[in-house]
Amino acid sequence: MKKLKSLFSRFYLLLVLAFFYLPILYVIVFSFNDSKSLSKFTGFSLQWYEKMFANRTIMESIYYTVVIAVIATVVSTIVGTIAAIGLSKSRRIVKELTLQINNLPMMNPEIVTAIGLMLLFTSLNIKTGFMTLLLAHIAFCIPYVMLSIMPKLRQMDPNLPEAALDLGATPWQALTKVIVPEIMPGIVSGALIAFTMSFDDFVISFFTTGPGINNISIYVYSMYKRINPSINALSTIIVVMITVVLILVNVVPLMKERKLKKNEKLG
Amino acid sequence: MKNWVKLGLCGLMVVALGGCGGGGKSDIDPQEVYGCSTLNVYNWGEYVGENVLSNFERQYNVKINYSMFASNEEMYTKLLGGSQYDVLVPSDYMIERMIDENMLQPLDKSMIPNLANLADGVKGLSYDPDNTYSAPYFWGMVGIVYNKNNVDPADVESQGFDVLRNEKYKGHVFVYDSERDSFMMAFKALGYSMNTENEDEIQAAYEWLLDMDKKVDPSYVTDEVIDGMVTGEKDIAVVYSGDAAYILSENEDMAYWLPEEGTNLWSDAMVIPANAKCPKLANEFINYILSDDASYDNSSTVGYASSNKNVLEEMSAVGGEYDGNPAYLPRVGYPKDEVFKHNEVLKKKLADLWIKVKNS
Repeated sequence: MKKLKSLFSRFYLLLVLAFFYLPILYVIVFSFNDSKSLSKFTGFSLQWYEKMFANRTIMESIYYTVVIAVIATVVSTIVGTIAAIGLSKSRRIVKELTLQINNLPMMNPEIVTAIGLMLLFTSLNIKTGFMTLLLAHIAFCIPYVMLSIMPKLRQMDPNLPEAALDLGATPWQALTKVIVPEIMPGIVSGALIAFTMSFDDFVISFFTTGPGINNISIYVYSMYKRINPSINALSTIIVVMITVVLILVNVVPLMKERKLKKNEKLG
Repeated sequence: MKNWVKLGLCGLMVVALGGCGGGGKSDIDPQEVYGCSTLNVYNWGEYVGENVLSNFERQYNVKINYSMFASNEEMYTKLLGGSQYDVLVPSDYMIERMIDENMLQPLDKSMIPNLANLADGVKGLSYDPDNTYSAPYFWGMVGIVYNKNNVDPADVESQGFDVLRNEKYKGHVFVYDSERDSFMMAFKALGYSMNTENEDEIQAAYEWLLDMDKKVDPSYVTDEVIDGMVTGEKDIAVVYSGDAAYILSENEDMAYWLPEEGTNLWSDAMVIPANAKCPKLANEFINYILSDDASYDNSSTVGYASSNKNVLEEMSAVGGEYDGNPAYLPRVGYPKDEVFKHNEVLKKKLADLWIKVKNS
């Protein structure tokens, strides 16, 4: 009976994993397809990679996606961190109210935010383009950054920055040497969420971008008439990049820890 | 930062293409000649030849901001949202609507001598008979693609769209999930105009579709139909001629038939919006697209029928890229073929009925 149970749980796990990874595997396999078909593998070739690098609209959309995601992450992380620290020091009612308002854009369907931003830009007579796209991305990233930093601030001992000030630190030093290191895990996870949100956003980007500025999502969507297998090649490269980053993020701290332990033993 | 990335991308392209920018730039000063140096083009996704844009940029020393849309309605919404473009490529009925709403400016025909290259079939289409506002880009028909091995050609040829009500093929039919294309088949099969507003005719077409749903139990799909027919998943599908040409070139078992009851003749054409910032360069771009070289590149990459008569001839001539492919060349001068007209009320009515058909 027990054996059966464990067999079942293993099978279940396998099923879940297959459900997660089969689509990705499918994309990777078909990025090496010899023909244009999306459902029949006819042979191995690298032609879709070649075509991807030669296609200027794809390359431009990658460029805009990355630039927007990087700038939006940096700006929203800085703004979000400052806002969260400020809020943690304000009166309870202000804090509660602001946090509720902060949650609103996340609960709101994206399409409402998107149309709202588009109408705002149009009514203010701002031409949509790179700037409006960037502003929109920063705007929808900030709430996520704040959300991931607030619990860290709550966990932090409020006496720590005060002690730093007592011991002669300037307010700036107290902020950068005490508060920020304490909430660093929150900042990092906030930045990661912001980056992924910005990287794959379609709805808001679609309505706030202007002529000639497309990100990867908009590009893929516009291909609905005929899917270009270059997109498989692009997806494969992104998957590989993300895997490498994930491995680095997980392995580097482990290695650091081991080094630290070794040093301790030696010391 | 920006330059660095661009340099990097350029480097990658050098590897892939063996050239960066390539060739000498022309010494035209676009600011002087056209009053601007960037052109905003808004076109369908995957609808342009590989070197068309970069050649134009090099030849005229300008930059093209190229964006893509997936449907006419989406493009229209973007325009209402205040986006400014210089060249758009909407379909027939959308052009008609935009002309009605004064959203377009007339073409400057003195700048577009290549209009003389237009194929006969795209001349004098009802939405803009004199090409005052629009210059055709791609065009085609809607036809039936079927598997020669599993479907009797005599059935398709004698029954036309009614083959979709032939119980012999139950479970082997793709139907395009769009009220416009489905009602078109029904109207045509019944011998009505596809732009009819007659209540009785609409009711009859609705019943025709209900009957089809019951008799062949079709799969309602959108563009999966292309891959589905290439792999031979089903035996009958109603598709756009450009897609049919592609299916036929990939799968030898497939054949193509244009129903004798008539079908939809469609055209996607280039227009210049009234609020374009760079209309002079836009006219130059339209002229360039209509040239033999650019039209050839477009049609060869995308597979849709070119609006340029020389290219059409070359593609379908012996030894051409679409030699022996019956779906590439649209049918010309067949009085029962019609162009779709813009009619908001009718569209809504058909959309409601179409949902009922699919849910029956």
